[in-house]
Amino acid sequence: MNASVLRLVLRGSFAGNKARLALTVLCIALGVALAGAVHTLHASALAEIERAARALSGKADVEIRGPRSGFDEALYPLIAKREEVLVASPVVDLEAPLANSPGTLRVLGVDPFRAARLQAGYVAGSSSANFTWSTEGLDASNAWLTPAALARLGAQPGQTIALRSDAGDVHLRIAGVLPSLDAGGDAAVVDIAAAQERFGRVGRLSRIDVRLRPGVDAAAFRTALASVLPPGVVASAPASIATRAESITRAYRVNLTALALMALLTGLFLVYSTLALQAARRRQEHALLRALGVTGRGLSFLIVMEGALVGVAGAIVGTLLGLAASRAILRRSGTDLGAGYFRGLDATFAPDPWALGAIALLGVAAAAAGCGVIARAASRLDVAAALRDRALDVPQQRSGGVIAAACLAALGAVLLLVPPVTGLPVGGYLAITCWLAASVLLVAPACRGALQHLARVRDPVAALAVAQVRHLPGHLSASVAGIVVSASLCVAMAVMVHSFRVSLDAWLQGVIGADLYARAAEEGDTVRFSLEQQGRVAALPGIARVDARQYDRLAIAEGAAPLTLVARPLDATILRGFQAEPAEPPPATSEVPVWANDAALDLQAWRIGDRVTIPVAGRSIAVVIAGRYRDYSRTWGALLMDLAAYRRITGDSSASDLAIHLRDRSQATAVSAAMRAALPEMGSLALEDGTSIHRRSLEIFDRTFAVTYALEAVAIAIALGGITSSFAALAWSRRREFGLLRHLGLTRREILRMLALEGAATGLLGALIGLASGAAISLVLVHVVNRQSFHWGMEVHWPLAALAALVLALVAACAAGASWSARAALRDDAVRAVRDDA
Amino acid sequence: MLEVRDLAKSFGAAPLFEAVAFGVAPGELVALVGESGSGKSTLLNILAGLERPDAGSVHLAGQALPFGNDEALALWRRAHVGFVFQAFHLLPYLTVSENVALPLVLNGVPSGERAGRVLAALQSVGMARHAGRKPGTLSGGEAQRVAIARSVVHGPRLLLADEPTGNLDEANAAQVLDTLRSEVKRSGAAGLLVTHSPVAAAAADRVLRLSGRHLAAA
Ligand SMILES: Nc1ncnc2c1ncn2[C@@H]1O[C@H](COP(=O)(O)OP(=O)(O)OP(=O)(O)O)[C@@H](O)[C@H]1O
Ligand SMILES: [Mg+2]
Repeated sequence: MNASVLRLVLRGSFAGNKARLALTVLCIALGVALAGAVHTLHASALAEIERAARALSGKADVEIRGPRSGFDEALYPLIAKREEVLVASPVVDLEAPLANSPGTLRVLGVDPFRAARLQAGYVAGSSSANFTWSTEGLDASNAWLTPAALARLGAQPGQTIALRSDAGDVHLRIAGVLPSLDAGGDAAVVDIAAAQERFGRVGRLSRIDVRLRPGVDAAAFRTALASVLPPGVVASAPASIATRAESITRAYRVNLTALALMALLTGLFLVYSTLALQAARRRQEHALLRALGVTGRGLSFLIVMEGALVGVAGAIVGTLLGLAASRAILRRSGTDLGAGYFRGLDATFAPDPWALGAIALLGVAAAAAGCGVIARAASRLDVAAALRDRALDVPQQRSGGVIAAACLAALGAVLLLVPPVTGLPVGGYLAITCWLAASVLLVAPACRGALQHLARVRDPVAALAVAQVRHLPGHLSASVAGIVVSASLCVAMAVMVHSFRVSLDAWLQGVIGADLYARAAEEGDTVRFSLEQQGRVAALPGIARVDARQYDRLAIAEGAAPLTLVARPLDATILRGFQAEPAEPPPATSEVPVWANDAALDLQAWRIGDRVTIPVAGRSIAVVIAGRYRDYSRTWGALLMDLAAYRRITGDSSASDLAIHLRDRSQATAVSAAMRAALPEMGSLALEDGTSIHRRSLEIFDRTFAVTYALEAVAIAIALGGITSSFAALAWSRRREFGLLRHLGLTRREILRMLALEGAATGLLGALIGLASGAAISLVLVHVVNRQSFHWGMEVHWPLAALAALVLALVAACAAGASWSARAALRDDAVRAVRDDA
Repeated sequence: MLEVRDLAKSFGAAPLFEAVAFGVAPGELVALVGESGSGKSTLLNILAGLERPDAGSVHLAGQALPFGNDEALALWRRAHVGFVFQAFHLLPYLTVSENVALPLVLNGVPSGERAGRVLAALQSVGMARHAGRKPGTLSGGEAQRVAIARSVVHGPRLLLADEPTGNLDEANAAQVLDTLRSEVKRSGAAGLLVTHSPVAAAAADRVLRLSGRHLAAA
C-alpha cells in the first residue's frame, strides 16, 4: 500500500459530509478534553500542595509529627541532642480564624535560628536593612507574612491583623514579608514561644523538622526513633503532607478521571458505529479497490488509518480543549471541582504531559482498534457479491454474541471479588467495563429478537419504517449500541447518586438530633469551649441539655491514613442515629469501647470485637471495637468514643462543638441571642440549627456531584450527536430510496415521519437495554466502587421518575435527531436522487 | 495468452459449469454469451481471481493463477487484469483523470509518468476533454468509456468486461464496443466480453456460449 493510494483513498473517506466528520472528531475530542481537564486540575492542585510543603520544610530529612492536638515539647531536647541530628527545628502549626473576616490563616510558630538552617526563607527578610530577628523577630506581637498571605488579606506591613484564639483575640503586627517563602502558600510566621503562649499551646509542639548529619541514613534514623517517640507521634519523610494529600484524594481523583474516561469510551463507541456505517456505505468502493488489485491487508490498513486519523485529530483537538478549559477553570475558580478537597487552593497551571499523552493515546488507540474490527470485516468482503449489489447494512456478527456476552458478564462478576489495589476499586472498574462490553454484545441478538416480535402495523408509513429497520438489522444494532453505552452509564450514575443522597438524607436525620449546634469557630483549630464556658451555656434558661464534642486527628503510623477520634456522649439513641451495629453500648469493662466507621475497619483491617491500642494524648490506650457505624462526613477512618472516657484519658475537658437540646424548639432564636450574650469573649462563635445543617449538608453533596452530572450530560450529548450523525450518514446513502418513495407519492413529511419512527424505535431499544445494564452497573458502583474508594456503605434506592424521564428524553431525542438528519438528504430533487449513481 | 483448462464451479450441490476449456490469443476479443444465470459472470470473476474454481486451472502468458493465495491473487490482478463493469464503478470523489490513474498509482508508477499515460488512455477513448470532471456529471456512455480507459491504462494482459453496454442505449453501446475492441487490438491483451446483446457479440472476433453447464463455440 503506497502513500499515493492512501492519499487518494483517504480523500474519499473524508470527502463526504464535512459536518459529520467534524462531529466524529468532536466526539473523541470531548472525551479526551474532559479526562485531560479533570486530570490537569488535580495534578495542578497536588503540585501546589507538594511545592508548598517542600518550600516550608526546606532541607529537612525527617519530619516528626503528632496528632492535631500536638505533643509535649519535652520530646524536643531528646531529638535535638541525638548525635545523628544536625539541626532540629520545632514547629507549632495552627489554623487560626480571622477575627474581622471569614476564613482562617495558617500560623507557623518557629524558632527562627533553627528554622533558618533548614529553610533560609524564614529569615530571608534579614538581608533587608529594616529587619533583625534578634530584636523584632522575638517580639511576640510580630508576624511575618508570606507574599500569598499578604495579598489575600490585602494588608500592608505595619498593619495589625487579629486572629481568634481560646485566650481571646490575638493581635499581630505585620513586621514584614518573607519573599522566598512565596511557594509556601498562605501563612504567617511568628516566634514559636509567642505562638504557644498566645494561642494557648504552652508546652506543645505540632512538628519537629530534622536535618541529619551528612552520611546518616534517614530511614535508619526513623526506625531508631520509633522506640523513643511517644504513642501517636511518628517520624516520616518530609513533605509527607503532600504525599498524604495525594493518597487521601486519590480515590476521588481517580473516580472522576474514570468517569471522564467513560465519556471518552462513549465517544469512541460512536466513532466506531459511524465508521462502521461509513464502511458499509462504501462497500462497493472497497470491492472496486479489491478488484483493482488492492490486497485484503492493504484494505484493512486503509480503514485502520482512517480511524487513526480521526482519532489523532480528536486527540489533538481534545487535548488543546482540555488544557484551555482547565486553565480557564483554574483562573476563575481554582482547582476544586466541587468536592472541597482542594477548596481555596490557588494553584499554578501545571499540566502533566505524560498523563495527557496517555489519555490522548488512549483516544487514538481505541479509535484505531474500533476500526480494526471494521477492517477485519472489510478484508473478508465477498468482492464479486459486493460489486453486484448495493447493500447498505453494517456487517454484523451472526452468532456467538450471546455466549461471548455471558462469558464477559461472568468474568465481570468474578472481578468484583478482587480486593482494592492501592485503595482503588480496580476490579470494580474492570467489571463495569466487562458488563458494558457484554451489554453491547447483547445488542445485536436483542435487536434480532425485537424485530421478530415486532407487531404488524396498519399505518403505511409506519409499516415502511418497520420494513426498513428489518432490512438493516446491522445498522439498527450499531445505533442502538451507541445509545446503550451512554444510557447505561447515565442510569448507573443516576441510581448511585440517588441511592447515596437518600441514604445520606436518612443518616443526617438520625445524626442531627439536637436543635441547635454551636461551634467554637467556623473553621480553624485555635478556639475551643472551656469547661467553664460549657457550664455557662448549660445554665442558660431554655436549654434542656448540652452535649459537648471534641475531635482529634491521630497519627497511627508513618504513611498510614489518618484516624479521626470523635468524642461525644454516646447512648443507644445516638448510636442508632449513626446506624451503628450493634447500637447498644456493651457492658462496662476495663477497656474503652469505640465504634469504628467502615473506612477505619477497611483501612486498619480491624474487625468488630478486636482489641486494639490507639495513641491518645501521648499514651497508648487499649480499646475494644464495639461495633461499626456509618460516617458520610469522612472518607477516611474515624472512631466514636464516649466523651466521658475521652476526658478521663486526656484530661482535656474542652469542646469544639456543642449540641444543644432546647426545652422549647420555637425559642431557638432567643436562646442563640442569650448564648452570644453569655459568651461575649467568643467572637468566633458559630450557631446553626439542625435543619440548616441538614440542608447545608445536602447542598454540599449536590455541589460535590454537580461535576458528575456535567460529565453525564456530556456523555449523553456525545451519544445523541453520534446517533444523529449515523442517521445522517444512513439518510444520505438512502437518497435513492427516498427519491423512489417520493416518486411513489409519499410526501416529504411522511418520509420524515418514517425516519422519526425509526429513530424512536432505536432510542427505545437502546434506552431499555441501557436501563438493564445500567441497573447492574449501579450495583457495582454502590457496593464495590464507592465502598472501596470512599468506604461508604449505602442502600440502593431507585430514582424511578428520573429513569423514566431519561428513557423518554432518549426516545424523543433519537426521533428528532433521525428526522432532522435526513433534511439534507431530502433536499435533493427526487429525479436526481433516483438517477444518482454516486 | 489466456489458457483455461477443465474449469468447474458449483454453488452448493448444483454444479454451475464443468470441464470448461478455452483459450484467447493476444489482441483477440472473445464474446461470452448464455442465458441469465448460466454462470458467465462467475466465470469472469474466476478469471479475474475474485472467485475460486472447484477444479481446473487458468494460465495467463504461461503463468498459473495462484488461486490458493488471496494476497498473491490481488497483486496479480493489480498488474495484469483490467475490468469493466456494467455499473461503471467510478469513485465519485475523484476526477475522471484521477479515476483512470488509480491502477497506475496502485502499481507504483511514478507520478511524472502517470500524467502522460492517463492522457493517452483518455484520448484513445475520446474522453480527454473531460479529464477534470467528476463522474457524477457524466452520461452513462461517457462514464463507461472512462471505465475502459481505467481498465487499459496500466497495460493489462487480460481485459474482462461484464455486460459493459447493459446500461447504455444503442448509440452509446456501439461507441463503447468500438472503443473496447480497438483497445484490445492496440494493447494486444486477451479480451473477454460477456454480453446478452447479439450486436455486441458481433463486435467480437469469436463467440463462446455457456449453456447446459458446458462451454461451446457458437
Ligand atoms: N455467491 C453465490 N452463492 C450462491 N449462488 C451464486 C453465487 N453467485 C452466483 N450464484 C448463482 O450462480 C448462478 C450464476 O450466476 P452468474 O452471476 O454467474 O450468472 P450470469 O450468467 O452472469 O447471469 P446474468 O446474465 O443474469 O448476469 C446464478 O444462478 C446465481 O444465482
Ligand atoms: Mg452476469
